[in-house]
Amino acid sequence: MSLETTVPALRPRPLTITRLSLAEAVSRRLVLAGILLSAVFVGLFWLGFSFLYSRAAEVTGTDAELVFAATLMTVLGLYTVHFLGGFLSMFLAIGAVSSEVDSGTLHAVLARPLARWSWLLQRWLAFAGLAVCYVVVMGGVLLVIARLVAGYEPVDPLRALALLALEALVLLTLGLLGSTIWSTLANGVVVVSLFGLAWLAGIIEFVGDVIGNQAMHTIGVAVSLAVPSDALWRGASYYLQSPLFLAATATQDGGTPFASATPPSGRLVAWSVVYVALLLALAVRRFARRDL
Amino acid sequence: MPAELAVRTVDLRKVYGRHVALHGLSLEVRPGEVVGLLGPNGAGKTTTVKILTGLVRATAGEATLFGVPVTDPAARRRIGYLPEHFRFPDWLTGGELLAVHGRLAGMAPAAARGRIPEVLDLVGLSGRGGERIRGYSKGMTQRLGIGQALLHRPDLVLLDEPTSALDPIGRREVRDVIRALRAGGVAVLLNSHLLSEVEMVCDRVAIVDRGRVVRSGRLDELVGGGAEIRVRLDRVDGRALELLAGFGDVVAVEEETVVLAAEGVDPAPELAAALVRAGYDLHALVPVQQSLEDVFVGLVHGSAG
Repeated sequence: MSLETTVPALRPRPLTITRLSLAEAVSRRLVLAGILLSAVFVGLFWLGFSFLYSRAAEVTGTDAELVFAATLMTVLGLYTVHFLGGFLSMFLAIGAVSSEVDSGTLHAVLARPLARWSWLLQRWLAFAGLAVCYVVVMGGVLLVIARLVAGYEPVDPLRALALLALEALVLLTLGLLGSTIWSTLANGVVVVSLFGLAWLAGIIEFVGDVIGNQAMHTIGVAVSLAVPSDALWRGASYYLQSPLFLAATATQDGGTPFASATPPSGRLVAWSVVYVALLLALAVRRFARRDL
Repeated sequence: MPAELAVRTVDLRKVYGRHVALHGLSLEVRPGEVVGLLGPNGAGKTTTVKILTGLVRATAGEATLFGVPVTDPAARRRIGYLPEHFRFPDWLTGGELLAVHGRLAGMAPAAARGRIPEVLDLVGLSGRGGERIRGYSKGMTQRLGIGQALLHRPDLVLLDEPTSALDPIGRREVRDVIRALRAGGVAVLLNSHLLSEVEMVCDRVAIVDRGRVVRSGRLDELVGGGAEIRVRLDRVDGRALELLAGFGDVVAVEEETVVLAAEGVDPAPELAAALVRAGYDLHALVPVQQSLEDVFVGLVHGSAG
């Protein structure tokens, strides 16, 4: 045994915490379970899509109606992905800080020459990678199935997936900020409620637009600013529909309650990016000052 | 290496709401020195160490490690830390945990690979590094925690109640590790409420109560000065008392036993010789050192009112 002190003082090696967080997801079978369940979901989607599409082909026969059927099924499938991706992001984030603090695993780590902002951003990066991978891969696979089975071509699949990824980041960052403030349980309640509120506000805004109620429209917009998750889904939904379907439904105001007939505004996308950056900065600030 | 103090705190204050945890705590640890922070629960020992490791922000006062303010993460490059209450990610193996900490300490992968078995060996976990921490006992986890703190050969090791989960053998091994660290020139700040532990390994002790250092110094300074000698003779007469008084103050006389408060160097050998020369039968000559416990209890009780 030798204990002489001769090692030069060095900085922590980059991305150690990101790697550790990813290794944890893999080791805890989170990734395996996610992959298995997702495979089941994809399989069911494939079966359902094929079955319904062939039924539709038997019953109707006109090209337009077949495209409509494919659009509805695709949007519905991606709607599910948006929900699953949203919950995955929230569940990854709600205990990202608080559970580490409570369990006492953080003390030894943060006593290393590692700045707290670095720890937090590295952890965010790991979870962001997982969440974005999830929605992009799942959404992408569903779109490929729709194309293989029905030759379905949405307006812009890449933009749709990018918006879904942005939505996942919004929810993840919201959960991470909450995790620096509240206990895991309280944060879970808060974040899931906000997600639900955003969803409800999306419907309120839609109904307000249909019946021409300005107050309902304003409430919807205000909530979308506070939690832009549902607005981003509606933006993604526009790009998921087929141009033919959009043209046919353009006469109605605002499309359907769950899918938008108008493209997302550039301001929404810009605000969402700023939102993520802002919440991340707040989380860093909050965490940096906290006594552990 | 410049003789920068390993630890230096000046008037450290920490206030949690209405509760004052630290009340102007000043402490110094020199390089290579083993200092014990001794105090009752809630005295502020853990808060002090957490401020030093950057886990808690001081309300006021100064704290540096090797001259670097503790608010700078770079201050933590040369330290190892064993928290009081901690858990490790239990899905890692012991070896993997040490590898993670090696990376966090900035060790080159090759250096870490060589060092990890050495550290496991040092803390008595040889051959157990491949097992998941989930399966470790409390004592093994504690050993791993100590290993983690020593991994990168720090110049200062902060140990917060390092033996709390250990059996007597484990405690002894920890003391051996601390002695080995001192022999290697590593400074150690040891938080403990176990007097015997502090007494056995520390060069200096700072007794902490209610958020401040109430007494500090070398062990022999703290417990010295009050050393007494209990002498039992075949008879105690005026001549004997006169003779004894030449070696210190006679504190008490009970039948054939005299308690003598000696000063300075231990007078026992000369006293024995003198008594025998004078024709007394010496039945017992027992130095009664005031123990650290006496000092501690006196100080802490005194302030507890």
